[in-house]
Amino acid sequence: MFSIPALILAAALTLQPAETSVVEITFDIGAPEGVVMAALFDSEEAYDGGGPAVRGVRIDIAGGERIARFEGLPPGDYALRAFHDVNGDGEMNTNPFGMPTEPFGFSNNAVGNMGPASWARAHFAVSGETRQTITLR
Amino acid sequence: MTPSRRTFLTAAAALAITPDTAFAARAMRVASDWSLATADVEGDIAPRVLQRVHGRVPEGLSGALYRNGPAKFRRPGGSSQHWFDGDGLIRRFGIHDGQATLAARFADTPKRRQETRLDAMVMPGFGTAADPRAEIGSVDDVNPANTSVHKVGDALWALWEAGSPMAMDPDTLETRGFVTLRPDLKSMPFLAHPRIEPDGRIWNLGVNGNQAVVWRLAADGALEDARVIPLPRASYIHDFTATARHLVIVLQPWVHARNVMPVSTAYDWLPDQGTQVLVIDKDDLDARRVFEAPAFGFFHLGDAWEEGDGIIRFDVCTHADMDFAAHGAQDILNGVPLGAAPARLAMMTLSPDGQGRLEHAGAAAEFPRGDARRAGQRRRYSLHTLGEEPDRPLATAVGVTDWDQGRTHGYDFGAGHVVDEMVHVPKPGLSGEADAWLVGPTINLREGVTELHVLDMARVEDGPVCTWRADVAMPAAFHGNWVAT
Repeated sequence: MFSIPALILAAALTLQPAETSVVEITFDIGAPEGVVMAALFDSEEAYDGGGPAVRGVRIDIAGGERIARFEGLPPGDYALRAFHDVNGDGEMNTNPFGMPTEPFGFSNNAVGNMGPASWARAHFAVSGETRQTITLR
Repeated sequence: MTPSRRTFLTAAAALAITPDTAFAARAMRVASDWSLATADVEGDIAPRVLQRVHGRVPEGLSGALYRNGPAKFRRPGGSSQHWFDGDGLIRRFGIHDGQATLAARFADTPKRRQETRLDAMVMPGFGTAADPRAEIGSVDDVNPANTSVHKVGDALWALWEAGSPMAMDPDTLETRGFVTLRPDLKSMPFLAHPRIEPDGRIWNLGVNGNQAVVWRLAADGALEDARVIPLPRASYIHDFTATARHLVIVLQPWVHARNVMPVSTAYDWLPDQGTQVLVIDKDDLDARRVFEAPAFGFFHLGDAWEEGDGIIRFDVCTHADMDFAAHGAQDILNGVPLGAAPARLAMMTLSPDGQGRLEHAGAAAEFPRGDARRAGQRRRYSLHTLGEEPDRPLATAVGVTDWDQGRTHGYDFGAGHVVDEMVHVPKPGLSGEADAWLVGPTINLREGVTELHVLDMARVEDGPVCTWRADVAMPAAFHGNWVAT
């Protein structure tokens, strides 16, 4: 026989599968130095700078880490921005004319059109466990 | 039959030549004349031996002429809209032991890879708008590496002007990758017209609106210094020049007015502002002076020099305006005549009173060059192309202007050739400025092939002393350099 608490638990699992979704990003990087800074967004508005990231992560590349794992996410559309802070100064460095000098990338390995990759190119559907490898260049 | 008024009118109508139909007919004739100059090359050109068809190989002439220019403009899914936006094809004309060889390879750029995958030209450029499909993460993603080529250290650098040099192997022409001179200077622009001192030191600019980076490199390509300087105005800068002591930056009144692509639509022609010339001390980039000159447009300058009393001189090929850049070079690609006056050779004199004065030599000329051994020092001659006409904005002749005598000598290959820029190659063991060969290719339009010519600079009007012929045609190239071996 099912107990009442067991039924409640089952109902909760059925109604909120979201909490079980996982995004796992493997970063393909050049120099094994510094850290990768990555931010995960759940809306176009937030991705475009109009809101906070749902998760942020710092991956110790010099220490051998390559993978960012985001657990317990509600299902839906997400996009990720990341850059390789090669010199570990906490900033995405630019040349004197403002062009990035440290590698960066977006989910789907999307590339922009004279700017950051758009949400339209970078977003992906998350349900269950989703894995991507993103090359930072 | 007595022609009635009606039949007369009908016949007249049938024969009527309106300006439009005349223009179209002329466009077709001209296009068929020189369309090889902007034709597509479908792939790399494997090394081959050229056939000598005229004259004798000059004794002591040994080396390679490297040249660069766009050679792929059109793909089924979309095409470049401007001559300056095709993929760079790096040519190597070798002359050794009396034999000439030719090979050519495209710079293997991210642009070319992406456009090959899409089978469409999608990247924005000087006169081509970006296609929405283009994936552009950095300026070097649009870099066609198509404007010039220099030997720097153990590499060839295929140069554009808004992005990084592209390193290639001097022997195999295999692409090595973009050059980053220092990590914090990645993706900084590097013009296609560095100025090389006689000892090999390299000066160059990279331009971004009203600021420029001044590059100083050792002869082997090692970075010695890079500093950003302000410019008095955001002129379009394709080329600059230098004396032994000064950088000379000509600021034409084609001025950046808006942040749009393609590049050619971002500039306004403002002749009322005249042309300015910024002169900067190589040893102190903060020591500067601005000279005022009449308005002119230009792409290309010769090396500058200083005379007594603070006078600076340099040769320049002036345009009345920059309509060629904005429109004419689009028309060339589409086989339509320009109908505008070609550039004219002039000498610019900057005087201590702060004025710059132009003296035109009279010749319609482009691609000015001189004796590289005299870069930054007084010289007597300018080497250049000749023979461009409004209907045919490609040269038929090569010329040497003698500034002492005020005369231009030339050799006209005729309308059956498109003449590329030629280079000054000193004769071994001789130091005179005219003790040199002129080496450069033409497209022989009648034969449909590329030719390589050697002329004696002192007797340029006699024509080639030696000509080789290839079994392929390559389109017109922009710039290149000779590497003696």
